[in-house]
Amino acid sequence: MILRATLFLWVAATMVAAFVWAPEVPVLGPTTRVLYFHIPSAWITVLALGWSMVHSALYLRTRDLAHDDHAAASAELGLLFCIAATITGSLWARAMWGSYWNWDPRETSIFFLMLIYGAYLALRGSLDDPVRRARLAAIYSCVAFVAVPFLMFVVPRIYFSLHPDPIINARGKVDMDPRIRWMFLSMLLAFTALFFWMLSLRVRLGRFERKREARAVAHAN
Amino acid sequence: MRDDASSSAAAIWAILRKECRSEWRTRYGISAALLFSVTTLTSVSFAVGRLGDRGDILAALLWIVLLFASLAALSHSFVREVEGHTLTLLRMVASPTSIALGKLLFNLLFLGVLELVTVPLFLVLMGAPPPHWGAFLALLGLGSAALAASSTLVGALIAQTRSRGSLFAAVSLPLLLPVLAAAVAGTRAQWSDGSIAAPARMLAAYALAVLAMSLLLYDHLWEE
Repeated sequence: MILRATLFLWVAATMVAAFVWAPEVPVLGPTTRVLYFHIPSAWITVLALGWSMVHSALYLRTRDLAHDDHAAASAELGLLFCIAATITGSLWARAMWGSYWNWDPRETSIFFLMLIYGAYLALRGSLDDPVRRARLAAIYSCVAFVAVPFLMFVVPRIYFSLHPDPIINARGKVDMDPRIRWMFLSMLLAFTALFFWMLSLRVRLGRFERKREARAVAHAN
Repeated sequence: MRDDASSSAAAIWAILRKECRSEWRTRYGISAALLFSVTTLTSVSFAVGRLGDRGDILAALLWIVLLFASLAALSHSFVREVEGHTLTLLRMVASPTSIALGKLLFNLLFLGVLELVTVPLFLVLMGAPPPHWGAFLALLGLGSAALAASSTLVGALIAQTRSRGSLFAAVSLPLLLPVLAAAVAGTRAQWSDGSIAAPARMLAAYALAVLAMSLLLYDHLWEE
């Protein structure tokens, strides 16, 4: 309860601060504010995908359906944050580059991530038996894990990117306003906490759904 | 150990022969794929004419035609067993890994036959400049290997779902996009006298990585 209240206050405070307290970067102007939401969303997208894949591999190893709950819940949330990152990025691209979508390498790689999430969830959706669903989805997740580094690696080699440095605090950002740095750190923390809270809710819901299904099957027999 | 290896090699060979024989009986897969590629090629050629000086468009078109012509048939390799109710019998006589490897080899052979017809036709109809054969064939081979490795695995997954065929394109595309990107980049490079080393390495590494991962995973394919 206290944790939830803290999370709520933290997210609310950082959101207000992103609009009121944080300064604008000279070239970016008012579009700076989008980045306070875009970068944490992109970070959660990657985190969720990794989380989902780790739990898929763990499922194949242990055959514990609790891992499958984690993998599925994390993929659903990942898709949500992926869409958020894509939309905010696209709005920013419209303002700074003049078009919503231009197949910049960063746009391409986030689009690939979205496809992977979509395919994973579509595959899950077409399987009824929970054990088989867990197993096949985990297999797909493991193969997708092989594809992700290639997607991240092939595309930037083929195309030139306009995207600002994706790594925070990399070269050239040392002279960044300390308020911006605090803003980013606080946002990352808020989004990560939010993600794990939503994940725990979704995992619990998934567990209930599974139990209900099992009970329905037992009744039918 | 040695006996193990030779018996699974025999199983893989037997699966490959069985695949070839059942394909030859109906020739359903290969004729559909060939018809698709010929129809696409002629309609594109009719619509845009010869593209001799546009290596970039030629490379993209070639791989799009090959990808979509082969997708339908590649997805079918396991679905056919499920629909013919022959999968259980197959699983009784061979391990999941040898079944999958046999089917992978068949898919590779299938792609080879498809390319044997499609590629010369493509070069003639689109008025493509003569390719650098060594580089071009290497890219075709590596591209096919990567394509076959990932689509065999996805085919095995899809065969166990409810919607089967219709899901295949959606689920396999994220895995095939790196293949498509690297193959197109390499083919474009060889037409403009560039180096194909990077894309070729990429394709080879991708094919090997997917193959290695699938070998770890094939044993989990069926359990009940």
